[in-house]
Amino acid sequence: MNDMRKIEREARMTDTKITARNVNVFYGETHAIKDVDVDIADKTVTAFIGPSGCGKSTFLRCLNRMNDTIDICQVTGDIRLDGTDINAASVDPVQLRAQIGMVFQKPNPFPKSIYDNVAYGPKIHGLARTKADMDEIVERSLRRGAIWDEVKDRLDQPGTGLSGGQQQRLCIARAVATEPEVLLMDEPCSALDPIATAQVEELIDELRQEYSVVIVTHSMQQAARVSQKTAFFHLGNLVEYNDTGLIFSNPNDERTESYITGRIG
Amino acid sequence: MSDKHIVSSFDRDLESVQATVMKMGGLVETALSEGTRALIAGDVALAERVRRGDETIDALDLDVKTDAARLLALRAPTAGDLRTVLSVMEIASHLERCGDYAKNLAKRTIAMAGSGEIDGTRASLGRMSAFVETMIRDALDAYIHRDIGKAAEIIARDTEADQIYNDLFRMLLTHMMEDHRNIAVGMHLHFIAKNIERVGDHATGIAEQTIYLVTGALPDDDRPKRDRTSMTFEESDD
Repeated sequence: MNDMRKIEREARMTDTKITARNVNVFYGETHAIKDVDVDIADKTVTAFIGPSGCGKSTFLRCLNRMNDTIDICQVTGDIRLDGTDINAASVDPVQLRAQIGMVFQKPNPFPKSIYDNVAYGPKIHGLARTKADMDEIVERSLRRGAIWDEVKDRLDQPGTGLSGGQQQRLCIARAVATEPEVLLMDEPCSALDPIATAQVEELIDELRQEYSVVIVTHSMQQAARVSQKTAFFHLGNLVEYNDTGLIFSNPNDERTESYITGRIG
Repeated sequence: MSDKHIVSSFDRDLESVQATVMKMGGLVETALSEGTRALIAGDVALAERVRRGDETIDALDLDVKTDAARLLALRAPTAGDLRTVLSVMEIASHLERCGDYAKNLAKRTIAMAGSGEIDGTRASLGRMSAFVETMIRDALDAYIHRDIGKAAEIIARDTEADQIYNDLFRMLLTHMMEDHRNIAVGMHLHFIAKNIERVGDHATGIAEQTIYLVTGALPDDDRPKRDRTSMTFEESDD
């Protein structure tokens, strides 16, 4: 079938961006993630779904070492970004998080101007030498965040003055400003209304041209709409990982079917 | 209502499945006209091409069904989007049947090669086939333009296709009663006539889907049967 509209919606599994093997996470005594193996493709949206407490957010946070900040949390196993062990002693977690950006559930713009929100990351990572360079980065990032047209005339106003949906797109613009390779999104739309959600989903689809996007969502419908690959987590296990079209029309595992049809939670 | 979704990939999915149905429609029209051309000319090679071509139509039908299931599963379409998905599934089924009828016409053309002729019937079949082919084309046109006026007009037009069929039925019956050597060819030609008549019914079905898509309700009137010719034997039984 040579319909471009069909070709572009498929996941291209040729390039693996992140490989995870035998990943286990413990919160004190609690075994939160059990032997998870997964390959995350480049230029693809991968969704993690599952009931509350299934470990999907915990696993997402392993991918840019956000669990390092939690004292009782212990992560074992092998996670590689383009073949490089992200937990190696030589890897600087701050640098890693510039490569693997993150967007959170609640929009969290800095209490600064829209411009400074976006410029902050490039500034601390030394990505711009001149003011003109920085202006260019800010504009490019805001354009990628699909919010440029709405804010271009008020870049000096506080980011916190924007609507919820705009704030979230600002946070996405901020995340892409450091030229990351992977974008992690932890329930990025759960604080947004349906229209703002649709705008962010459209943005996610555009971001897929350049990045590997991993999204945790408690909305199965959102996973169905935005992703090409879906991973279903249950009780800390990765139950099923497959093409989104297959997961939602003909899953292999009974637990996946029960969850997506609303029979277990 | 704006015709674009905020999530543009949703639009692409909807466009893609409708484009597949339109492609099916194009192939069905071609199969009908070429099949009929083969029938009139007794062109076995062309009939064979038409017979084999049905595979592509069936494959596209499967594509439409798979894509529609995917749309339902992933996009949870509502209102007009839902009706679009439901109607493309129905239309694909109608077209798939039409493809089968064209294939059957081609097979019978091959089977009849070299056998006798019943004067005038093939030409009549040609006219009838051209008539229902136009109905299919117009029905798809009405669908893509969401034109319920045109759709209603197509539904009305089906009576005429039925009329041509009834005339043919009468003619074939007469020939077969006159000379039993006409029966073998007459049976084939009758099946072809009936199949072409069924294509008209499917065009009507497609037109009804357009009305459903636009208004949310199927037209409910059953057209009165004006002519009882094809019931001849049942009537003479009692």
